[in-house]
Amino acid sequence: MAAENLEAFFSDTGKSLGTEGVNRSEETIRRYGENTMACGDVMPAGVVYPASTADVQAIVRAANTHGIPLYPVSTGYNIGLGSRAAARAGQVVVDLGYRMNRILEIDEKLAFAVVEPGVSYQALYDELVRRGNKLMLDVTSGPPQGGMIGNALDKGAGYTPYFDHFGFSCGLEIVLGNGEILRTGDGALQSDTLANWHTSKYSFGPILDGLFAQSNYGIVTRMGVWLLPRPPMVRSFHFAFPEDSDLEEVIELCRPMKMSNFVPTLFRVANDLYLCGSEGESAEYHASKGKKSISDDGRRALREKHGLGAWNVSGAFYGPSAAALEPMIQRVRDHFGQSGKAKYIDHADAGGVGPLQVAINAFSGIPSLGELGLLKWRPGGGNLWFLPGTPMDGKIANEFQRICRGIYEEHGMDYMVMNVCGPRFARGLHVMTFNREDAEERARADACYRKMSEEVARRGVYVGRAPIQYHDFHMQQAMPVYRDACNNVKTALDPNGVIAPGRYGIG
Amino acid sequence: MQTAFSREQLAQPEIAEADGILKTCVHYGFCTGTCPTYVLFRDENDSPRGRIDLIRAMLEKGGAPAPRTVHHLDRCLSCLSCMTTCAVKVDYVHLIDIARSYIEKNFRRPLPDRMLRGLLAKTLPYPRRFAAALQLGRLAQPLAGFMPGRLRDLVGMAKARPVKMELLAPNVYLAQGERLMRVALLAGCAQQALDRNINAATIRILQRHGCDVIVADGAGCCGALPLHMGYERQARTLAAANVEAWSRLLDQGLDAVVVNASGCGTTVKDYGHLLGDENAKRIGAMTRDITEILAQLGLRVTGDMKPYRVAYHDACSLQHGQHVTEQPRRLLKTAGFTVLDVPEKHFCCGSAGTYNLLQPAIANALGQRKAAHVGSVDPDMIAAGNLGCMVQIGRFAETPIVHTVELLDWASGGPMPEALQGRTLRAPPPVAELSEQPAIMPSDAPPSGGAGIW
Ligand SMILES: Cc1cc2nc3c(=O)[nH]c(=O)nc-3n(C[C@H](O)[C@H](O)[C@H](O)COP(=O)(O)OP(=O)(O)OC[C@H]3O[C@@H](n4cnc5c(N)ncnc54)[C@H](O)[C@@H]3O)c2cc1C
Ligand code: SF4
Repeated sequence: MAAENLEAFFSDTGKSLGTEGVNRSEETIRRYGENTMACGDVMPAGVVYPASTADVQAIVRAANTHGIPLYPVSTGYNIGLGSRAAARAGQVVVDLGYRMNRILEIDEKLAFAVVEPGVSYQALYDELVRRGNKLMLDVTSGPPQGGMIGNALDKGAGYTPYFDHFGFSCGLEIVLGNGEILRTGDGALQSDTLANWHTSKYSFGPILDGLFAQSNYGIVTRMGVWLLPRPPMVRSFHFAFPEDSDLEEVIELCRPMKMSNFVPTLFRVANDLYLCGSEGESAEYHASKGKKSISDDGRRALREKHGLGAWNVSGAFYGPSAAALEPMIQRVRDHFGQSGKAKYIDHADAGGVGPLQVAINAFSGIPSLGELGLLKWRPGGGNLWFLPGTPMDGKIANEFQRICRGIYEEHGMDYMVMNVCGPRFARGLHVMTFNREDAEERARADACYRKMSEEVARRGVYVGRAPIQYHDFHMQQAMPVYRDACNNVKTALDPNGVIAPGRYGIG
Repeated sequence: MQTAFSREQLAQPEIAEADGILKTCVHYGFCTGTCPTYVLFRDENDSPRGRIDLIRAMLEKGGAPAPRTVHHLDRCLSCLSCMTTCAVKVDYVHLIDIARSYIEKNFRRPLPDRMLRGLLAKTLPYPRRFAAALQLGRLAQPLAGFMPGRLRDLVGMAKARPVKMELLAPNVYLAQGERLMRVALLAGCAQQALDRNINAATIRILQRHGCDVIVADGAGCCGALPLHMGYERQARTLAAANVEAWSRLLDQGLDAVVVNASGCGTTVKDYGHLLGDENAKRIGAMTRDITEILAQLGLRVTGDMKPYRVAYHDACSLQHGQHVTEQPRRLLKTAGFTVLDVPEKHFCCGSAGTYNLLQPAIANALGQRKAAHVGSVDPDMIAAGNLGCMVQIGRFAETPIVHTVELLDWASGGPMPEALQGRTLRAPPPVAELSEQPAIMPSDAPPSGGAGIW
């Protein structure tokens, strides 16, 4: 990328967006490059702030003219997976959140919202509350300032029946890599009035929406989000299991409850460190200088302190009143009680336990900050998320626990995991916190991540989202035809490869 | 974050403290999205981590700070929203106070700036002087058009709120009925000059709930205003006087120091840090916001309050400084009001102590934004726990604004707040139509409406 091309790009973009739309200050470049990954910072060439879809088109056209790679972010809180850092150094970050942050529509009858990229979970939640709190948004348990579009496009998820954020989005507006605007779903109709753009995904023709999740074929500028009628009462239930190996039984107990949809939420099956880790720093880190995993005694002490188990199950019911939900709670208690090992923690008591309150908030569609504390378990600001999944089969899940726990320990990392369980599949949210300021520990975290990816792949398991530093690495794990297909779509929709080359290993 | 202070620098206690704080910041960046100035400007130097970096560079280099650094640090509201969001809980409040004090000692501001700051520091903490200055400002109204920017704003603000001064003399207001507690009230400084009703309501409701309320001889301004302008020595002197005055009461038994201006409450609770001695720690530890005390005592109400729609504004000092968010809402609900959360409630209204006097443009932008959010919930009245917010929001909002304690006092037998008198309040809907609060929901969960299917 020649320097004069970059100058020409910024000059054109400045003319279209105005001076407020371009930022190339040294501080901006430095901070947009910062992230929590093991690879170090990734400096962009500058940042642009569109205020409209037309601005995004102008940026993409200028990028095509001058051969400049772009990197779009919406709210930009993808912390643990790349923050706002681009796929490769020297890309221009298109920060949509600063000026494109309007809630375009809320349809209270059909229960959906239409948002621009910069609308955060907190902002939409606040607006729904303002309107009388009749509708509930599925949120993540991550940063409340993260947003629906960035999260859905990365196939993020929450915990209520509308947990699948991409699945419960409907109708996108996208500026393609060639600068043209595409509307997906029923929005594809050539018409000025689109009755079903945000109510139906499955009308005429192929479902193109999926192409824009975990890819780099366009910049999404508008999205519909489906909302759930808010239940007047949310009642959570929690069970603590004492042993690491109890995971097998836990998964077996959760599966039928989900398969029958008796329990409407996903199950959060979190280990001791995932829960206790948000409540304070590791007491053993300094003694071992971060070289060793926390001891079993250390874990046991934490469990005792917080009244939690080695594995902890959380779920919730929705209904008109506590009394109406009581029989359901009783049935779940009877079901988990079969094991003879589960300690029951009721909704009221769970409200007093920080990490269980996080679960209650998530089931209630309330953005909250509690889980962010996980990141301070070790000092130095390193954080990676390793996100494979297992079939909902207790034996297999336990086998994966054994393998990954072993690799964490081999690399002196602390095994911190939550399995988010549906009927057939559980996504394993593996948190890695490490001291990013210590080169040796950083290298160990990196090696640990790669080894786990290889080991689970050997057993037929692929990851879901991934920290951006590993996108190329994971794409290399795919079958060649899949790689070629992804690249061919890229050539069709973004012939000059200006949108986020390298993201998800494409382009 | 790594730092590079010399051994000599680290020998200075404030640098050593700053060093410890700076090292905890690891630049995750969660804080940026909840920082009002970053959201307004998208300038990294106007974000919490940007400011932390500027402070590090300023202190490491020593000597006179760069004007650009001062510019960005001056724009910080000390709203502490970043501290609520921060995943590692960087102690930003003490870092920015160290930085402000460093700037005052090492930076020569332009003359008009120095004069304005000096004037504020010499008047605001002293109610009589402040009241006199306000009168002067009101007399100067006709000349406002000829005045330079910030002076004009200052005079404009004097107009915004009528002076309702009542300086409380040292006194003991005795409990009605059985005495349950003996508390000292921080009578305050600017608040006494601007709004006598808040203290009056506080004393009445505390007496009604079984408290002896003492206005202690020798207690005055809490020191927050000078502290946040960087005048640390003045702040310490004022704080020490309060600690001394209240410590004298300890012998006869003192259950709490009660504060009804949350900006002051945050500072008084932190006296242990500011002064470092045992007495100060003790006083800090027994300090409570008025809503904390009433929640503890158990609010008794007459029961005939209509469910007026109250937009509750979380003052930054209460929500971010003291983490008091539940009690005021719960008390207002107990009192019979319909309590409404305001969108973007984590954001500052722009008052921030003397901020709206020193940074009027940003303060006005934030004030307008807050007023629009408050108005959007269609309230009959606005409640807040801090006079600064009341003045600031009152400049931009149509709806009457009162202190939370005035509403609680009204609901428990006191008079209707003065700001509501003479207003026609809408007749609220029958109670049956109001949505019900579920028995147990997450603490900040508002009442849910449902969409008719449950
Ligand atoms: C403690 C903790 C808990 C978490 N819990 C959860 C959880 O429960 N569920 C979950 O899903 N995540 C979770 N996360 C991960 C993450 O923080 C969130 O998913 C967050 O919502 C992502 O950031 P964002 O919404 O700001 O997206 P962004 O950073 O704006 O976007 C993410 C990526 O998507 C792409 N993108 C964004 N916008 C566009 C666009 N308009 N067009 C094209 N491409 C675009 C970009 O490549 C971008 O980097 C958690 C993180 C932490 C630290
Ligand atoms: S105190 Fe407020 S204005 Fe200052 S950096 Fe923190 S969030 Fe921003």
